[in-house]
Amino acid sequence: MTIRLEDLTVNFDERFQLDNISWQIEDSQHWVITGANGSGKSALAAVLAGAGQQLSGHLSGVPARVGLVSFEAQAELIEAELKKDDADIMDVVSEGTPVREVLLNGETDPALVHELVGKFGLENLLDRAFRKLSTGESRKMMLIRALASNPDLLVLDEPFDGLDVDTLAMLQGYLASLVDTVPMVMVLNRFDEFPGFITHIAYVDKGRLEHQVARADETAYGELYKLLHLKTTDLQVPGADPETAIPVLDPSQPLVKLNGINIKYDDKAIIKDLHWTIERNQHWQLSGPNGSGKTGLLSLITGDHPQCYVNDIFVFGFKRGSGESIWQIKQFIGYVSTALQWEYRVGTGLRNVIISGFYDSIGLYSKCTDRQRQIADQWLALLGMSDRADQPFNKLSYGDQRLLLIARAMVKHPPLLILDEPCLGLDDMNRQLVLALIEKICASSETSVLYVNHHPEDQISGIDNYLELDKR
Amino acid sequence: MSNNYFNTLPLREQLEQLAKCRFMDISEFPDGVEALKGKKIVVIGCGAQGLAQGMNLRDSGCDVSYTLRAAAIAEKRQSWKNATENGFTVGTYEELIPTADVVLNLTPDKQHTAVVNAVMPLMKQDACLSYSHGFNIVEEGMKIRDDLTVIMVAPKCPGSEVRNEYVRGFGVPTLIAVHEDNDPKGEGLALAKAYAVGTGGHKAGVLMSSFIAEVKSDLMGEQTILCGMLQTGSLLCFDKMVEEGIDPGYASKLIQFGWETVTEALKYGGVTNMLDRLSNPAKIKAFDLAEELKVIMRPLYNKHQDDIINGTFSRVMMEDWANDDKNLLGWRAETAETAFEKTPAGDVEITEQEYFDKGILMVAMVKAGVELAFETMTAAGIIADSAYYESLHETPLIANTIARKKLYEMNATISDTAEYGCYLYNHACLPLLADFMKDIKTDVIGKGLELSDSGVDNARLIEVNAALRAHPVEAIGSTLRGHMADMKKIV
Repeated sequence: MTIRLEDLTVNFDERFQLDNISWQIEDSQHWVITGANGSGKSALAAVLAGAGQQLSGHLSGVPARVGLVSFEAQAELIEAELKKDDADIMDVVSEGTPVREVLLNGETDPALVHELVGKFGLENLLDRAFRKLSTGESRKMMLIRALASNPDLLVLDEPFDGLDVDTLAMLQGYLASLVDTVPMVMVLNRFDEFPGFITHIAYVDKGRLEHQVARADETAYGELYKLLHLKTTDLQVPGADPETAIPVLDPSQPLVKLNGINIKYDDKAIIKDLHWTIERNQHWQLSGPNGSGKTGLLSLITGDHPQCYVNDIFVFGFKRGSGESIWQIKQFIGYVSTALQWEYRVGTGLRNVIISGFYDSIGLYSKCTDRQRQIADQWLALLGMSDRADQPFNKLSYGDQRLLLIARAMVKHPPLLILDEPCLGLDDMNRQLVLALIEKICASSETSVLYVNHHPEDQISGIDNYLELDKR
Repeated sequence: MSNNYFNTLPLREQLEQLAKCRFMDISEFPDGVEALKGKKIVVIGCGAQGLAQGMNLRDSGCDVSYTLRAAAIAEKRQSWKNATENGFTVGTYEELIPTADVVLNLTPDKQHTAVVNAVMPLMKQDACLSYSHGFNIVEEGMKIRDDLTVIMVAPKCPGSEVRNEYVRGFGVPTLIAVHEDNDPKGEGLALAKAYAVGTGGHKAGVLMSSFIAEVKSDLMGEQTILCGMLQTGSLLCFDKMVEEGIDPGYASKLIQFGWETVTEALKYGGVTNMLDRLSNPAKIKAFDLAEELKVIMRPLYNKHQDDIINGTFSRVMMEDWANDDKNLLGWRAETAETAFEKTPAGDVEITEQEYFDKGILMVAMVKAGVELAFETMTAAGIIADSAYYESLHETPLIANTIARKKLYEMNATISDTAEYGCYLYNHACLPLLADFMKDIKTDVIGKGLELSDSGVDNARLIEVNAALRAHPVEAIGSTLRGHMADMKKIV
């Protein structure tokens, strides 16, 4: 059955509107929706799964069973889980819903769940609370949940984000095997990730569906590619704040020294006897498949992982567990990760989000200086968000939030900048912007960069040390 | 049997202790956690509150470990898992208490006598014992060894928030106190301040209070407005709606989630903001109902406060403890059988605004309860800051438990002490409001005013608005919320 959007105007929560969308999806077609961050890609995809309030126009032909994978769908699950969690006026610590329960929710086909769990390699995680999964693992769980629900339409918003290379290839292959059974609509930021079976591309800009292009039409496809690939201009990294002084580190000491560290969950070792030293002025790239412990390892360094107290860790001159506070550690670190983005659920303004990087806080609880405001404004200008400085952060799209958190991590020019898959959710243009910023920062002498990513093509010149973790 | 400590004091000292409460400025914490540096902190109990406080203290540079009863360790109970999974040392009382410089007792009230009797002989000379609630000292008259320093540090939020706010770089409002009979070296205040810094409380506001003010205000708040009023209100509003032909599923949902929704407005902007969410005619209606309720219920609030002050309440409750909780368990079972409790919330959509528009009586009950509890406490000599935290500030937290699983959840999550007081209130308040409820119709609960013309008399509206804003709970509320102004709105 053909899905028809006729002159459809849909409102989302007063913050965003899709205007006068006319679009037709035939059974045999597979679409990619693309566009800049904040253009309305995800909103358009979500309309197919019933989101938003229709103000005018018509929507017809949407099947009853829609398999949806998106940031918002995941956020909803987490939100529901958090609601359960603060039930602890009861003074119990909530264990969290296990993956098994999320997957076997009554709407999925148990046999298919079983098969997909095998394909995605989640067998060992079925009893773990889903909130304890890594970025890539939770994405896999969401995919299994959607794919196993026997959908008549698949809506996949950035399904490949956070997946390691092997899983990505497997998923692309699996989706290709479904092309004759279920139409697919994907939101994808990266042209290089468009699967071969995609037949059409929808290009969204400022809430309008501006272009619809058949893949076969090479001229139009080429034009679209150009639209999303503008030259990065001669960009300048805004300066540090001379008044927010980060204490001087002893130059003879390494920034980080991990001596035979271990991370264990329920007696299962994720990282075993790892030795790692990060010297000053070294730049590192950390890689490894999903679940190999990358994020856990990084949070040992940032002090966010409770097991940092049972390991032999030396950071910025402190032996962990010797009477230092986490704020003394964090002052040396700028940090961005998906986990941080989940934590950063705050309705404060965009400028404040950047300023909070000076204080290592989520939200801003201190009075900031004029100088800090100025610097934050320079970052907003760089990101093209000057006109939105006081808008609430939590109403932004995922990609725009990510850009701001990257600025927050960089704003104080920290001795150690940890970027855990920073480009997730960014469109091609912003990805180039961020990669260029990272290169500039690498080239300066004040900051060591620790960079995690899955995409071999997102190389950063200047990084020449590599650590690869194995899956356990 | 125990000996009520408060009643042993001369009136002059009773008044002085009750009136102790002062909001401390962040500039009063220049020494940070210094007073705890190099000291060994041992936490008794590892529920959510214990775990959150321990993690915060450790992240602030303190040396923290947990002690549990031998059985909890041997059977690897949840509390054992909580502590070990997070990389803490866990040991028995015998193993850890003798090594402790500071012992944090974070077990429930009811266990305090047993716990303190077990750990006190094991404690080091000159160590410090910290409570998060003063019932054991004030109402049970527990005598602590003369060489020990006794303090109280009580974050005014559940454990998950204590942890989450710390991780964000903030904290939750925290009450601290020193038991003056047990401050042999005069270091109690320094320790309590350092502890509040270690859990992040100093950033959100610390109230310097006394054991007595904390206990007498906490008991009053929890049994009247917080739990008692919400329970009584739930039962009355539900039965009325069903009697008037409203769909029971709808009625159940309106109440279950209504308290949470209307008190969320209370949390952000006090009683004034809660009433400002209503249309003008509805606001005047709610105001009038609340005035009426206050007249009817005032003697009951006075009685609760009097019984708390003179120790009657705790004496009667402890008799029930000694009698295997006969009353408590009976009342708990009775509550489970009420029509409201047994009717599941219907599968209907109710918008946020609708909870206000159709729950005018609920808004009135919250207003009356908050103001009465506040007025009664301050009249008994408790300072406005304390009275605010123990009434208005905590109401949304309790409303939140009802939204989860109704009265059962509320009564399961609050302390047994609060639950006991809640039933006492409920049994007295239901008959007290019987006549009042006879005149109540669905315009104030269930359907809303449904007016075609929402005009009001200017003079009357001005009068109501002025009265709302002039109430003393609003003045102290806006000051205290102001201290947390930059804060959140976490969605």
